[in-house]
Amino acid sequence: MKSKNRLWILWREFLERSFSIAIPVAAIMAAFLVSGFIILAWGSSPMAAYTALFSGAFGSISGIATTLQRLTPLVFTGLAVAYGYRGGFFNIGAEGQLYMGAIAAVWFAITFPNLPSWLLITLCIFASGFMGLVWVLLPAYLKAKRGINEVLTTLLMNYIAIQYFEWVIRVDHIQEGILLFGGVEPIWTFQNWLGIKDATQPHPKSAFLVDAAHLPTMKSLLESNLFSSLFGGAEWYKELLGITAFGRISLAPLLALLTALVIFFVMFKTVTGYRSRAVGINPEAARFMGINVPRTLFVTALISGTLAGLAGGMEVLGTQHRVIPNFLVNAGFDGIPVALIGQLHPLGVLLSATFFGALRAGANKMQVITSVPIAVVYIIQALAIVFAIAGTTVDIGANLKKKRLAREVSEQKLEPAKEEVANA
Amino acid sequence: MTELLRLEKIRKTFPGVLANDDVDLSIEQGEIHALLGENGAGKTTLMNCVYGLYRPDSGKIFWKGKEVSVHQARDAIALGIGMVHQHFMLVPPLTVAENVVLGLPLPREPLLDLSAVEKEVQQTGERYGLLVNPKAQIWQLPVGVQQRVEILKALYRKAELLILDEPTAVLTPGEVEELFKVLRSLANQGISIIFITHKLEEVMALCDRVTVLRNGRKVATVNTSDTNTRELAKMMVGREVFLDIKKPDLMPGEVVLRVKNLSALDNRELPAVKSVSFYIRRNEILGIAGVDGNGQTELAEVLFGMRKATNGTVEVLGYDVTNCSPLEIINRGVAYIPPDRQHTGLLLDFTITENLIGKSYYKLPLSKNGIFQSRPIAEFAASSIKKFDIRTPGPDLKVKLLSGGNQQKVVLAREMSGNPALVIAAQPTRGLDVGATEYVRNQMVEARNTGAAILLISTELEEILTLSDRIAVMYEGEIVGIVPAKGADIHEISEMMAGVLRVGDLTAMDI
Repeated sequence: MKSKNRLWILWREFLERSFSIAIPVAAIMAAFLVSGFIILAWGSSPMAAYTALFSGAFGSISGIATTLQRLTPLVFTGLAVAYGYRGGFFNIGAEGQLYMGAIAAVWFAITFPNLPSWLLITLCIFASGFMGLVWVLLPAYLKAKRGINEVLTTLLMNYIAIQYFEWVIRVDHIQEGILLFGGVEPIWTFQNWLGIKDATQPHPKSAFLVDAAHLPTMKSLLESNLFSSLFGGAEWYKELLGITAFGRISLAPLLALLTALVIFFVMFKTVTGYRSRAVGINPEAARFMGINVPRTLFVTALISGTLAGLAGGMEVLGTQHRVIPNFLVNAGFDGIPVALIGQLHPLGVLLSATFFGALRAGANKMQVITSVPIAVVYIIQALAIVFAIAGTTVDIGANLKKKRLAREVSEQKLEPAKEEVANA
Repeated sequence: MTELLRLEKIRKTFPGVLANDDVDLSIEQGEIHALLGENGAGKTTLMNCVYGLYRPDSGKIFWKGKEVSVHQARDAIALGIGMVHQHFMLVPPLTVAENVVLGLPLPREPLLDLSAVEKEVQQTGERYGLLVNPKAQIWQLPVGVQQRVEILKALYRKAELLILDEPTAVLTPGEVEELFKVLRSLANQGISIIFITHKLEEVMALCDRVTVLRNGRKVATVNTSDTNTRELAKMMVGREVFLDIKKPDLMPGEVVLRVKNLSALDNRELPAVKSVSFYIRRNEILGIAGVDGNGQTELAEVLFGMRKATNGTVEVLGYDVTNCSPLEIINRGVAYIPPDRQHTGLLLDFTITENLIGKSYYKLPLSKNGIFQSRPIAEFAASSIKKFDIRTPGPDLKVKLLSGGNQQKVVLAREMSGNPALVIAAQPTRGLDVGATEYVRNQMVEARNTGAAILLISTELEEILTLSDRIAVMYEGEIVGIVPAKGADIHEISEMMAGVLRVGDLTAMDI
């Protein structure tokens, strides 16, 4: 009786855990299924479209490179949202924090181009994370000390960041060395810190970052002295050197993976993460345990903002090497569905970011081969989000328990503990 | 008089709880019938069954002699049953008339013509002495008037039976008088009223008959003219002592907690704790008896730094900890077992291990430089599970999957882990079955025997009598008497709980 009971409880726990994986997977499958009908209505074959989509994302080194480029910022913003959400700080402001992070990285790389590469890259990464942190300070303070809803404040901070970015990149900058009227030094934003070439054209660009500020790529690794001296003569080595797509696979995805592991560790293996999660689950109970709830919320928000800022930095240092208007549209907002489909778990975020990244990377090929428009991937994405959210309301694990307890009560087993005492 | 409503053997269970156990009830036309019982006695559950919010597992409901089935509130309203909930179901930005008519067909649909409604609201109000401006918006009205709107809403729907769930809980004394006047006038005009309460003097002042519930069972139905508050208190709290706790006589040691003239407000900013003074020594359990809602919970929260003290001091082992943060108070050696383990005692979505380390996770050896040390944590959890006999298949199970008794053991294990000098235990056995109750009580005595001072807050008089060395009784925020538990007179304590007797602190001495 006792061992059967024990097995049964373990089985229930297993069911509950597997449902947390099954729900997003089922949601994604359902999204593909429903979108299949839309593609059919469009007059194309869903199978052909999905095959093209998949091979576009994973079928070649070039495709994989694109997938990796697309998923990297999503991992960071997904982690930002997931950590914040777990800690009771729903950060809708990853978009703005990301823009500010990107500006900081570009500014740093352009201002200090002569630093050694490793130092420059490290400091650029720090700058982007720090700027993300700065951008969440105000919402964090308002939430922790004044209890003001962070959804509103972080959302509004987005618009400030995005408009500021637009302004910085489009403003007609004053030439360096020229003083304003009366010999006044131009204020910070009027100087051309980002090296904007011609702010009046429709698509102004910042200066291209010096090579030292580019994250190392597979290509640069292969071309390094170490590799060429080791394998210089080998045929396969020369073949590998010829693959240009390696130039687009930078260190950024690897750093994203490492960050996910670090956040996993912080979340589940440190005092900081424990406090964050406790406050996120039940601030009242956390207060009873002696946790300083406002301080914990503040720390959670800062971690979240830093992660979002890093997303911008990684994109600039690893992929685009400059900023242009709309350089990373919606990567911040998309962090929310990435986190939710990833079940607010750092490793789940890795998987769901891969799903989102692959959709974007494969979309072009799908359109070229099957003439199914790119917009379909956004339909798939939106449906996956809807299904995943609908799925979370189906708390099958809790339902199982409710049913069992109700049955026990109706069978008059009202005092299970007493019965267990008798058995023990 | 004719019988309006009869309940026969109503039985309602919730997961793990038997809320109503074959309850019978009979309501006559034009009477005010009190449903008296402690919190959790099953009063509201029973009425929700009548009103169609819950479906009873078994039992019959008769309305005017005919058996009826009430599946939803709409059925109950159609029969002529109205219910005023503790939390009002009003739409604040709408007017009184709009709220009254909400969900009903209007005279000139689809046009919104409120003039007829306003007139009728006005007339009904005049008839029963429920004067409200039908054009006023709800949010502008004081709570007492909002309650009238709720009653008007029911009357507008031609209610013959009005169920009021603890209507006085939100009112000032003046408003209570007003409400009683209205209710009497309603009853005079043939409307029956069920008045849910746990306040004895209200029952005596207002009601014709009273049905007492305890632990989901009906104790008795009596005429208020044939009884008194003392007898009702006895019925309400019960007094069977069914557990055998062995408690050796011990010489109390130094004073651990000293409270002087402590006052505090409740969530509605009304005085809840009024100039309370007492002390507790080592090896001593001070039981705080009292009917629920007389300031006990607020007192515990003030002591633990969760609520601001407006006056007075709290000293733990000689240190002034008045209005310190919970963490500072914990660090002085105070443990707190909150009254509601599901919401404030535990993090239900955390595992057993994560809950167990809740008081010591940031200290060596469980963590080093902010990083959790898996092995010491696993050992700590395993030894706690063993020591406190927590029945679970493993330490990584979420706490919400445990039974109530085992959940409470997790709270106990967490709170007792640091050998606290003072344990504040608020309703530590509420909702537990007999086995778990006995376990928790033995742990309290064990902690007392090993040198802790214990403040036990319980609304179960039997628990207070079994465990305490001294008993303080709280009534309306004041301590109306402190008596030694040995040889305590249960009648005397019941009377103090009902507010009809005051004694000085018989245990007071200069320490």
